Amino acid sequence: MEVAVYWGCMIPTVEYAYELSLRATFPRLGVELIDLEGVSCCGSPIKSVNRLAADYLALRNIALAEETGTEHLLVPCNGCYLSLSEALHHWRTDEELQGEMEKFLDKEGLTLEGRMKIVHTINFLHDIIGLEAVEKAVKKPLTGLRLVSHSGCHILRPSKILDVDDPERPRKLDDLIRTLGAEVLEYPESLDCCGAGLLLSHPETAVSLSATKLRAIQGLGVDGLVDSCPACHMMFDARQETGARAIGCKLSLPVVYYTQLLGLAMGLDERSLGLHLNQSPVEKLLERAQKTFP
Amino acid sequence: MTLRDLTSEAASEGELRERIVRELGFELQSCFRCLRCTSGCTSMKLLELRPHFVMNMVKLGLVEELISSGIVWTCALCLKCEERCPQEVSPSELITLLRNLSFQREENVPEAYLKVVSSVLEMGLIQEPMEVVSREFEEFTRESLGLPRIVGPREAFSENLIELMTRGAG
Repeated sequence: MEVAVYWGCMIPTVEYAYELSLRATFPRLGVELIDLEGVSCCGSPIKSVNRLAADYLALRNIALAEETGTEHLLVPCNGCYLSLSEALHHWRTDEELQGEMEKFLDKEGLTLEGRMKIVHTINFLHDIIGLEAVEKAVKKPLTGLRLVSHSGCHILRPSKILDVDDPERPRKLDDLIRTLGAEVLEYPESLDCCGAGLLLSHPETAVSLSATKLRAIQGLGVDGLVDSCPACHMMFDARQETGARAIGCKLSLPVVYYTQLLGLAMGLDERSLGLHLNQSPVEKLLERAQKTFP
Repeated sequence: MTLRDLTSEAASEGELRERIVRELGFELQSCFRCLRCTSGCTSMKLLELRPHFVMNMVKLGLVEELISSGIVWTCALCLKCEERCPQEVSPSELITLLRNLSFQREENVPEAYLKVVSSVLEMGLIQEPMEVVSREFEEFTRESLGLPRIVGPREAFSENLIELMTRGAG
């Protein structure tokens, strides 16, 4: 199956581990990724300064993706997933906006039909590839690992536009982790925001939020946290130390992308999954995985 | 702020309030202050953001005060308020519109947002591909990791974006 992929900004400029692990794992599930040229920011940070400009950014990326002719557009970043889905919803329901955008897209030589289905890593794997196919690709089950998940805000809300998962009790990421053989715990803070949305205006508060969630998770005695958004991941992984300093505690929790975990269960090489790039102590998780399945 | 200030400001801000009301996808009056938004607000505990209070300020026409206080930039945009409102009101949408207005008036916009805007205008993305360091302190780039080169947008893109950005809010 061919799928167009829109990486956004964070994944291709700094969160390389997500891109590496997605590129390494998806072909093994029969998915051929088609890269896009000429794409831009999804509009997420721009929405705060100009809503219309944000819609334009999102729609031009969808128009570029439509040129590939694939049915689905895979958007692995939560923020981008919301921006693109929301702009497409605006475009479909607002004729005035449609006319306006047509002019701008036309200047770039683009046309928008609005026929693509926008999917995120989680619902693509869970609903389209399916748990059974994911399970079949597992070579080294992660039996014995105890994990928790963080779905992130922007694939769950607003649920009147998005349909990745239940907005108050998401389960798909947990199901996907269980399919790899690991145990998943539910925890009270699972819906707490990572704080990335405050990074541009209140960075200290942003890292306090992520660190507070990490502290709660660490208290559960689990082997690690699994996420699937580059913004959330950066907060929990790369900013773990900064966050720990901000709230005055010691944090050492392994944080991995779901696609990295999937790759481990497929028996893929750690470096091909970008596991050397995680800044949190993922060795602890890797050792545990090795012990239970040498 | 004295009572006199409040009443006189409110009268002069009718126009700003009307502009916001026109852009909103819901009725301001639908909010009956049940406080469900505020009770679940991510930014309430640490930054004292109270979404219902922002709603009420706009209802009263105190838009100028909201913008100059900088309170609209304390929102984490987690969208729980919008999701949970029993009246299908969206405080986060209102906050976004107020932010748009701040930008238009060049008032109180955090520096980092302006940097992002200029980067998107220049190269299409929020930043250039960065060099990263592994836990073992090895340096990597997209290229050395074997990732394909990024091809940015063509010229008409920035012209479009500039035209849109210089237009009215919302």
